[in-house]
Amino acid sequence: MAVLEIHDVASGYGELQILWGASLSLEQGQLTTLVGSNGAGKTTLLRAIVGQLKPWQGKVLFQDEDVSKLPPYAKAEMGLIMVPEGRQLFTDMTVRENLEMGATPARARAHAAQNLEKVFTLFPRLKERATQRAGTMSGGEQQMLAVARGIMSEPVVLMIDELSLGLAPVLTLDLFQSLRKLRREGLTILLVEQNVRMALKVSDYAYVLSEGKVELHGPSHEVENNEEVRRAYLGI
Amino acid sequence: MSQLLQYLADGLLIGVVYGIAAMGLTLIFGVMSVINLAHGPIIALGMFGVYLCFTVLGLNPFIALILVAALGLLLGLIIYIVAVHRVLNAPHLSSLLATFSVNMIIIGIGTTIWSTSFRNVDYSLGTLQAAGISLPATRVAAALIALLVTGVLYWFLYRTRPGKNIRAVANNRTAAELMGIPSTRVLALSFGIGTMLAAIAGGLIGTILPFTILSGGVYELKSFVIVVLGGLGNPLGALVGGLILGLIEGVIPAFTSVGWVPVFEFVLFVLLLLLRPQGLFGAKK
Repeated sequence: MAVLEIHDVASGYGELQILWGASLSLEQGQLTTLVGSNGAGKTTLLRAIVGQLKPWQGKVLFQDEDVSKLPPYAKAEMGLIMVPEGRQLFTDMTVRENLEMGATPARARAHAAQNLEKVFTLFPRLKERATQRAGTMSGGEQQMLAVARGIMSEPVVLMIDELSLGLAPVLTLDLFQSLRKLRREGLTILLVEQNVRMALKVSDYAYVLSEGKVELHGPSHEVENNEEVRRAYLGI
Repeated sequence: MSQLLQYLADGLLIGVVYGIAAMGLTLIFGVMSVINLAHGPIIALGMFGVYLCFTVLGLNPFIALILVAALGLLLGLIIYIVAVHRVLNAPHLSSLLATFSVNMIIIGIGTTIWSTSFRNVDYSLGTLQAAGISLPATRVAAALIALLVTGVLYWFLYRTRPGKNIRAVANNRTAAELMGIPSTRVLALSFGIGTMLAAIAGGLIGTILPFTILSGGVYELKSFVIVVLGGLGNPLGALVGGLILGLIEGVIPAFTSVGWVPVFEFVLFVLLLLLRPQGLFGAKK
């Protein structure tokens, strides 16, 4: 069952059109990845889905409901959660407070204690740092906190923009493994990633975005073996 | 010696009250980067609020403060919705002009209704004597209330959900929206609380000193000096800044004419801007 469907979405910034009719669909419980070169419109598409940008045309259907015109906070309340590029933590607040802020939607607030337990198990480092100000942590820890904060929102769909950007390979691997764990627990995830090789390895299904459109899509292992993809993104 | 102690005590007591006026200004700036030029007239409205409750309704001025605080919050919400929200993402000049217009409107209406002649709240709780100094009990009460308000503000910002929402929106509005926090409502509430603090400060000053509808301007300027002292966007810094300014005001008259007070205050202001623009305690950003 498709939990999130994007139909022919166009959007951009001011006069500048970035998306030219992008469509994709997320299956319940799958880890889907969205890859593409810089400037292909990956982040723009996430922004249009979450409502930071208004879709100029097309539709965003979340659990069969048209949410194209809803603002981000209303979508978060419904369970459509984005972990934005550059983490966007509440840097002046403590780690625990950041996680508390994640638990804003009503559904999430009811289970805040359990979810806190869950993210502390997933990222023990965060438990150690609970009273530290978020802005004083290392980049990797901050990215963990950004993902953990997203989980605290009790997402139906968790969208993550550039999970590995600026992180050491070891940390990246850790985070990808955490994603696999979340996926096994049944969470639907949309991962935008510049590390194409890793994203294809870890995901179930992949979309390749190029010049504001979906160029091709399919099960990740097929996309991984696609000649064009290998040449353009994997350098083989 | 006891004379100097007296000046110091007077200064500290009024300084705490200045502190909460400045907290209102700094809270609004910290959350939405708007410099509220209607701050002064709202302080004056707080004075008149207590005055009217006292003279017309016969309320104890300190009880009247509760009503003034509630009306201040409401007024702030209205000002935000009518004048501030629409210019929030515009260049700074727009929000300066918008709040300045509110300033002119309040002063215009106030002058028409109450003229610009001096009023005072004729209320006394007697005098407290200690260590050779004597303090009017109303001043002591005003300072204690201001401290209480500061404590409650901190409890609200750090221990309650709406307070944490305010800090989250101040820290990163985009992220707050992504968590499901409706930032517009939070911004309106912040503006309301900032306005409420100004109204309470005005109400407290009104029980101590005579005033007109134009008196707010003086305290608005003091708030600016305090906010720069304490660091823009830092409410606790505002309290300390208020104490420092109160001390300067208290002590200078011991050595020279009162007329020098604003000169010293603004020389300090300029020096701070030149030498330590982030404030004595380092602002948040």
